[in-house]
Amino acid sequence: MSPNGANGEAEVGSDGPRQKGKATPDTLQVGCIAFVTKDGHSRRAEILSIKETKSGRQFYCNFDNFNKRLDEWVPVSRIDFDQDVEWPNPDKDKQKDAKTKKTATVAKKSQPAKKTQKRVGKREQSVASDGQTSHPWTEFVESQSKADGNDKANASLELGATPNLGPDEMELDEDETPASAAKKEHAQSFSREQEIEKLRTSGSMTQNPAEISRIRNISKVEFGRYVLFPWYFSPYPEAFSQEDCIYICEFCLNYYGDFKSFSRHRMKCTLQHPPGNEIYRDDFVSFFEIDGRRQRTWCRNLCLLSKMFLDHKTLYYDVDPFLFYVMTTRDDRGSHLIGYFSKEKESADGYNVACILTMPQYQRKGYGRLLIQFSYELSKIEGKLGSPEKPLSDLGLLSYRQYWSENILDLLLSKSESGEKVTIEEIATRLAMTTQDVEHTLQALKMQVYHKGEHKVVIPDKLVEQRAKSRAKQKRQVDSQRIQWKPPVFTAASRTWGW
Amino acid sequence: MATRKVRYKKLSVKTPLSVLREDQIDPTEYEQLTNEAQIATGVEQAEENEYHLQAVLKSAGVAIDQEIPVPPPQESTLNYDELYARPFSKTSSYIRFSQTVEESIGCMYDMTEEDDAFLKSYNQKRPASAQLSEDDFEGIMEVFEDTSYVQAPFASIDQTILSYDEMLQGLQDLDKFKIMPHTKDVYEYWKSRRQALSNQPLHPTLKFEKHQDSDEADPYVCFRRREVRQTRKTRARDVQSAEKLKRLRKELEEGRQLVLAAHNRELLKAEMLKADRAIFEVRAQLKEHKIRLGIRTDDEDLINQKPQKRKAADISIVQRAPPPTQLRIAVRSDGRPPTEADLSFLSDRLAEKENELRADVERKVQSHNEWNRNHLDLTRGPLSPVHGPKQDHSFRPAKTQYLMTPPASTSSASVDEPTPMDLDKPQDAHPLLKFRGVARDEESRKNPPAYRRRIGRLNRLWIDRRGMVSPPRDVSAEVLDRWKYDQSSDDEEEPPVYEVDPFDTSALRFRASIPLPPWMGSRVAVANARAPLPPPQPPQQPQQAQHPVLQPQPPPQAQVTT
Repeated sequence: MSPNGANGEAEVGSDGPRQKGKATPDTLQVGCIAFVTKDGHSRRAEILSIKETKSGRQFYCNFDNFNKRLDEWVPVSRIDFDQDVEWPNPDKDKQKDAKTKKTATVAKKSQPAKKTQKRVGKREQSVASDGQTSHPWTEFVESQSKADGNDKANASLELGATPNLGPDEMELDEDETPASAAKKEHAQSFSREQEIEKLRTSGSMTQNPAEISRIRNISKVEFGRYVLFPWYFSPYPEAFSQEDCIYICEFCLNYYGDFKSFSRHRMKCTLQHPPGNEIYRDDFVSFFEIDGRRQRTWCRNLCLLSKMFLDHKTLYYDVDPFLFYVMTTRDDRGSHLIGYFSKEKESADGYNVACILTMPQYQRKGYGRLLIQFSYELSKIEGKLGSPEKPLSDLGLLSYRQYWSENILDLLLSKSESGEKVTIEEIATRLAMTTQDVEHTLQALKMQVYHKGEHKVVIPDKLVEQRAKSRAKQKRQVDSQRIQWKPPVFTAASRTWGW
Repeated sequence: MATRKVRYKKLSVKTPLSVLREDQIDPTEYEQLTNEAQIATGVEQAEENEYHLQAVLKSAGVAIDQEIPVPPPQESTLNYDELYARPFSKTSSYIRFSQTVEESIGCMYDMTEEDDAFLKSYNQKRPASAQLSEDDFEGIMEVFEDTSYVQAPFASIDQTILSYDEMLQGLQDLDKFKIMPHTKDVYEYWKSRRQALSNQPLHPTLKFEKHQDSDEADPYVCFRRREVRQTRKTRARDVQSAEKLKRLRKELEEGRQLVLAAHNRELLKAEMLKADRAIFEVRAQLKEHKIRLGIRTDDEDLINQKPQKRKAADISIVQRAPPPTQLRIAVRSDGRPPTEADLSFLSDRLAEKENELRADVERKVQSHNEWNRNHLDLTRGPLSPVHGPKQDHSFRPAKTQYLMTPPASTSSASVDEPTPMDLDKPQDAHPLLKFRGVARDEESRKNPPAYRRRIGRLNRLWIDRRGMVSPPRDVSAEVLDRWKYDQSSDDEEEPPVYEVDPFDTSALRFRASIPLPPWMGSRVAVANARAPLPPPQPPQQPQQAQHPVLQPQPPPQAQVTT
């Protein structure tokens, strides 16, 4: 891959060695990188926004190598002004003209290459990209500790090498990286076009990056019995960003910035469960199937709600082409939303899940596993192999990895007892997983070995023990006998837009 | 790709792999041979390196409790039981539900704190009886918001605020007496709020696309319409859609046949009712005659017999509209076993009573007519005689027996292999237009086509018609042309005369066999269905007394509209 060489230079040179110097609370501006205390440690953080509050000026900080959900508003007192602050590049604007010309041609050239590249399997692509960000974790930890030890030169290098500048660069395909590296704004528009194209053709749910959307707009949500603290931006009405707290009806998911409105609404709202057909029920949870086309308002509301907790979800396009499978728990007030996953009515890429979310108040209780299991149960009924749409979030990856490894492990244990051989294909069909996912899981668990000229699967003892432990903890399973569901059939017309 | 010392055989998904436990393999070998290649995680490249994720991934298979920190949720301090007061009862079967959010809520306007303050001060000035409730207030506000959304969708841009008069239409649906005294005041309040918000809707709304360039970059704009994917045109697809069209056509045709059949059935039902009535009346007369002539027989011919026998009789009745009385007596009185005649049912008794009553009424009417027979009204403006039932007796309304169902446009056989030409034939459209619903013109109802048959001089058979509406002629250009130079003023009045041998009945027979043109058939048919025509009249008088009852009621809509 020829661009890789150029890439290395370009990336370092992209932001250039930033100017550094001491700053005061008044001179600190958006785009600066400063050291900010977080959980007792001083961490590099980019300042994304500044606001004046009654208690003084506050800075919205995105911490280096921390997920955006941990971004926060910090008061001046938490910023370390003893250390140098890196200023945003002042010559950015000057460079613009010269570079856009250059990048335009680069972009054009790379376009045909991009197309062929797209066909290449996901795996290869990401392997290559891993090579590019050549930072194994250990190295990073070391460099991090050095950085903490005021080794500024190292820190600046670190900055150049790790793509810590947020979604603008995250979205890029490899071939464009030179272009993007040369000119950030330009690359942004370029990748945007490409991304919209992707949305158009694949029904993808990835997020569209924009500066505003990097900053959380809603700070607090009253939802049923809980107060939730959103993690990410969600395009609720703009006026809501002024509110200290917004109120969301637990059943119809309508949103209110005003408590009186909300309580008036609660007197009128008759919904007590998701507005669709129940397709699964046991004594613990229920699943409802909801068509985005028929329940447009509700599904939009659900998307807005879940966007607060899903970084890569996009609300760019409407909900029509999706089905929503909503998991609820019952009590004497209604069926309360635990989580859901959405699914394209027809997925060109064979995805069986588009977005998946367990509400924060129900996280870490095993519900995510139920959701994932249910999505695979549906795939089994459809007779298809399914996989979640990429990118996964960090939490999504962990949940899926756990589900995959546990189920593959169970299958392999039974095979090893009976002494049978197994093919990857067989595992895939038994679990309705794609063969890729099976392979990746086997590799991730270091179960695949090459020994004496043949491939083998080895089950590490560690995993067996761990599985025994987790099995003891795991109480709930989806009982496939209780699913009352037939794969819905849609005509071409109803899948596309059309009033 | 990572460099390796051992060269791999490619692993296919179909390769059978032996499954081993860790203790079944040499540990050093295992350490060494474990595949070290980077594994695609499916997480965004930039996020893959995030501290907490890496910490967990590193420990995969080591510690199970490692977690990624998230902002924790809290218990709400709001009063849940008050806000979510409605109890939920568990259903025994799986819930099926299709109501939308809007349908489940009702009034979509929810009053804000500001509204609340306004309403409170507003109500303070009023006695308790004339206060405006929160629900009514919201109802009014909803009308204002909706009307303004529909009628001035660009209000926030062009700053039009609808006037109060424009709102009145929407307010009609509400409970007038309760709200009307308040609407004007609420309107002023609504207007002031809208103005304060630079004429935006009062409830914060989502931002949708407005097809401006600025939409693209605005993260608040969401739920755009998805463009329809262009389908590629191929021969196969054409064939497919042709198939679909054919099937659709066939199904529509079937539907049409069904409707026609149902229409026919209803016509027959009406016919049957009429026949029943005729039987009833004839029986009434029969009874009267019997009493008068002192004939004492069983009343079996006055009541309905066993159903299956009746059915047979009905068919004959329907087929040749009510036969003369004598004939019926002859048919009925011969060898019918008087089995169940001894037992009389209450309904029969009642019918008998009613018959008597009716007969009495009829007798009186008859005597009245008798009394008036030679009465001549010589006053200046004599009341014109009532039209209607008292028509020329010798004329009989035409009972058309044309085919209801026009020939199917495509038979099922031809649907299988129609040529494109077949599908396009224009005459197919014609029968589809046949259904016209109610014939509106009074003319055709008053004067249904009628005919009479008489023997003229030299024993010639005449069929006189009247009330026949001649079909609008398709006047071709040539025909017009023919008369172009042959005009005289009274030309219009005289229809062209065709030379037909009046003695030739074959022409008549032929004519009778031609189905009426559909436009005329439907008119007659509908008239039949709506208002039963006066049954063919036997010379007896009492019959006529019944007729006012049978007169069709004018359709109620007509009263409303005029």
